[in-house]
Amino acid sequence: MVTSTSAVGRILPAICSLLRPPPEDELREYGGLGLVRRKRVLDVGCGDGRMALGCAPYASEVVGVDPDPEAIRLARKKARQLGAANVRFKVGVAQELPFPDEHFDVVIFSWTL
Amino acid sequence: MVDALREAHRVLRPRGILVDARPDSRVFAYAEHRTATGAYRQAGVIATARGAAGDDRASDRAAATAATSGWFRPLRAGRFWHRVLFEGRSALQRYLEDHARFTHRVRWMLDRARRRRWEADPWAIRRGVRYQIYERT
Repeated sequence: MVTSTSAVGRILPAICSLLRPPPEDELREYGGLGLVRRKRVLDVGCGDGRMALGCAPYASEVVGVDPDPEAIRLARKKARQLGAANVRFKVGVAQELPFPDEHFDVVIFSWTL
Repeated sequence: MVDALREAHRVLRPRGILVDARPDSRVFAYAEHRTATGAYRQAGVIATARGAAGDDRASDRAAATAATSGWFRPLRAGRFWHRVLFEGRSALQRYLEDHARFTHRVRWMLDRARRRRWEADPWAIRRGVRYQIYERT
């Protein structure tokens, strides 16, 4: 059972990432941190960067893509606050990813499709 | 959606991993009341809204197309449960009204008196999330 205990007592509806499981818990469900450790990871539909920033401490490189510029601005701000140097965020759509062929080891669609 | 999966196939190296995770509309979500001991007690059932269920079926079809097209090979699948926590029952109700995923009404398993008594206690929605891990061919 995954629980966002950090969200207790808050008003949740407007804050999307608080409605989702903590990224470490989600990765554990998918098989553990080995899934992203030292890998190049693409988070499609990254929103405010919840999953991308959760992968950052373990992955070699993480890129988050989302069509919402406001979400990307928020994600970049969070990355700066966390000092996550191996994470980039780009405005873009899943149907036209601005990356070369065969660049990533892992692609994550977390609550995106 | 199929276009997005085709792009995922393009940017992934061979034998790279694709994770597709989303709310599981094939199972009910539950409204739960948190007791004084911190345990959660099932208090009602929440169905997926018709529109969201239709979107989920479209996603399923896209994923099936990606697999049958030979872009990805399914490795494993599963489901886990996730609690979204609310400071009170009115916050839970507000969430249901503001979001399109669930129907706006809970089918309560509790009588009105107990719901009222526990109105200001912490509540949660427990919902299923399903995932599928694929390997890029």
